Amino acid sequence: MGNSVCKGKTVFMDTTRIKSLQNSSTGVIKAGEHKIKSHLSTESQGLSCFTQDHSDQRDGREIVQGFLGQNKVMIFSVTSCQLSAQVKELFRSMKVSFCVLELDQREDRQEIQQALWELTEQRELPSVFVNRQHIGDWEKTSQAHREGRLQALLDMQEVNLSPDLYDYDLLVIGGGSGGLAAAKEAATYGKKVVVLDYVTPTPKGTTWGLGGTCVNVGCIPKKLMHQAAILGQAIRDSQRYGWELQEKVSHNWRNMRQAVQDHIGSLRFGYSKALRDSKVTYMNAYGEFVGPHQIKATNSKGKETFYTAATFIIATGERPRYLGIPGDKEYCITSDDLFSLPQSPGRTLVVGASYVALECAGFLAGLGLDISVMVRSILLRGFDQHMANKIGEHMEQHGVTFIRQFVPTKVRDEYHPYIFRSSEETVGVELLVYSSFVWFLQVLLAVGRDACTRTIGLDTVGVKINVKTGKIPVNEEEQTNVPHIYAIGDVLEGKLELTPVAIQAGRLLARRLYAEHSTKCDYTNIPTTVFTPLEYGACGLSEEDSIQKYGEDNIEVYHSNFWPLEWTVPARDNNTCYAKIICYKQDSERVVGFHVLGPNAGEMTQGFAAAMKCGMTKEQLDNTIGIHPVCAEVFTTLSVTKRSGGDIAKGGC
Amino acid sequence: MARQYEEVTVRGYDEFMKAVSQRKGKDVFAYFSGSKNEQGISWCPDCVKAEPIVRGELGYLPPGSVFIYCQVGERSYWKDPNNEFKKTLKLSGVPTLLRYGTPQKLVEEECFKKDLVRMMFTED
Repeated sequence: MGNSVCKGKTVFMDTTRIKSLQNSSTGVIKAGEHKIKSHLSTESQGLSCFTQDHSDQRDGREIVQGFLGQNKVMIFSVTSCQLSAQVKELFRSMKVSFCVLELDQREDRQEIQQALWELTEQRELPSVFVNRQHIGDWEKTSQAHREGRLQALLDMQEVNLSPDLYDYDLLVIGGGSGGLAAAKEAATYGKKVVVLDYVTPTPKGTTWGLGGTCVNVGCIPKKLMHQAAILGQAIRDSQRYGWELQEKVSHNWRNMRQAVQDHIGSLRFGYSKALRDSKVTYMNAYGEFVGPHQIKATNSKGKETFYTAATFIIATGERPRYLGIPGDKEYCITSDDLFSLPQSPGRTLVVGASYVALECAGFLAGLGLDISVMVRSILLRGFDQHMANKIGEHMEQHGVTFIRQFVPTKVRDEYHPYIFRSSEETVGVELLVYSSFVWFLQVLLAVGRDACTRTIGLDTVGVKINVKTGKIPVNEEEQTNVPHIYAIGDVLEGKLELTPVAIQAGRLLARRLYAEHSTKCDYTNIPTTVFTPLEYGACGLSEEDSIQKYGEDNIEVYHSNFWPLEWTVPARDNNTCYAKIICYKQDSERVVGFHVLGPNAGEMTQGFAAAMKCGMTKEQLDNTIGIHPVCAEVFTTLSVTKRSGGDIAKGGC
Repeated sequence: MARQYEEVTVRGYDEFMKAVSQRKGKDVFAYFSGSKNEQGISWCPDCVKAEPIVRGELGYLPPGSVFIYCQVGERSYWKDPNNEFKKTLKLSGVPTLLRYGTPQKLVEEECFKKDLVRMMFTED
């Protein structure tokens, strides 16, 4: 025997297995519809091969699933075993054809038995499957037969016995920025795709629909509320420009919240429409792996549905972390709750120093609320610290109270003070920081986000995660340690957690999987913006990272303050805005880090990010003529280096 | 089989708003079409095409909801950019199928897609 062609695929039988065949009682090789005749009876029992591609799979799970997919009745057996013989006799007596895999004849017996154990939690052989459902050992099989269940299963419609083994080509868990982008892209190549999305309500009961974090409780509502705060400042500035306000100006949280939620609703509806249009199936259900190619999806009513797919993408994102202190879930809110809060949060304590904490504290203060920020150690960990401190200073100057080096240890209800503890190791005592007449109406926790990977059955299918962080390590093609399972977006270890990154990764992955493309996602020089009251745009390395990578002597930092023309008339914040580039001296002063603090930092940064991708040098920057009068032109005239210690205070233009 | 929804037919903006205000608190779906002539044919060809498709999905309307079939007026009235439907209800074209008080809206060719119509009637 050798190769035979079965429904368009080539079937290989390697010689070691053929030898084992000759030893066993089986002899016919049934390849799909082509039967190679042999001397055996018409009962067509035998070793049915399954279509195997040229990369010889040693993976036990793949082998088991392959056999299960191709054979209505599958028996994993041992030639010498009496119970195995009884099982075979049972099916013969029912005049049912079956396929047997004699494990004692196989080199990969261990892998297959391991896979069977993982799939069924049964170690004993024989192990019997009908229509891919596990019946059990001889005991259970004969009992099923007595009770008529066996016949019922046999009478069931043939399930997935064609080369299309699975319900779907692609199953995406998570309907956020990354998941939707990958799903839609895959659908354009004619693939059958299903997206599972489910939002577990917050402890406060907040929930939302399709679209993921960005649309519902992230970038979109955040920027809209940031804009609301900026407009407040603009109203104040406007008087210097001649506008005369007749009435007292105040902010109505409810109106803003409604407008923001309306917009989010229309975006979500747009996503639903786009998914339907692209023929992607969408299920509002919580997905968990229950088998190597099988997911259990549970909807809000508890109903379970099972799906199988050839390939999977995990795009489940993250959720805000709680502190694990008494009262945190009962009395605190997170960014998940903030943007749909029905009434103004009022006097709020923001716990944390992440960009989420500072952005939220920033716009809440901009709307006129009394805001304090409790910081355990440094601001914006991972970001350029020089810039982070300037952001903090600006917020402090504009009325935000920073409580540094403290952590909350207990949260009680609104009518009692909160208890905090100093984060200095030496102070191990609980201190009452505020007197009992001063308290907060709301505590917003923004101390980090945890990947949603712990309860989706990843251990069932063997996907490795970082046990401490929950994040999934992947290779350059976003592939996990299990070849047919991929991951994109915020769940990834060591990658920037940004919507455009997830979208790009998702699209390119779909193209690589289904359209023969080979472009991998480039995770370098990704521009970002922090929307604190003083916005911060950055692309490339921080000063700390560039020193570490190239050495302090090999980099040159050019910097300058600048004063936006628009702020001169209202006479505010001179010498607050700041521009900095980091150049690598050994490569013609190529710009390896771009940093800007100022209004519209995101708009300023986008163009420079493209230039950095082209390898822009300091000289090219200098040769670019600036646009006047705008903030970004400062980058075309940088001359003072940090090393020189020269004065960079600016008087405006 | 008894219908689970209430169907209302109105002509013009005022009648539409009256029908809506009389049904506060209900889930109101509205289909806006160019008005039909004596032969029962609308001047808007897309509306003619979409109506059977939308009507075919009415069975998916949630129980207790309201379906308002609204004829907006003659072509000349519709073409005026200041007509009340465009100005106040922010309609951009006919046919339009929307869920009153929510951002859910299907406009023109979107109404030809029965999947989208069904999605709007069945999604929360």
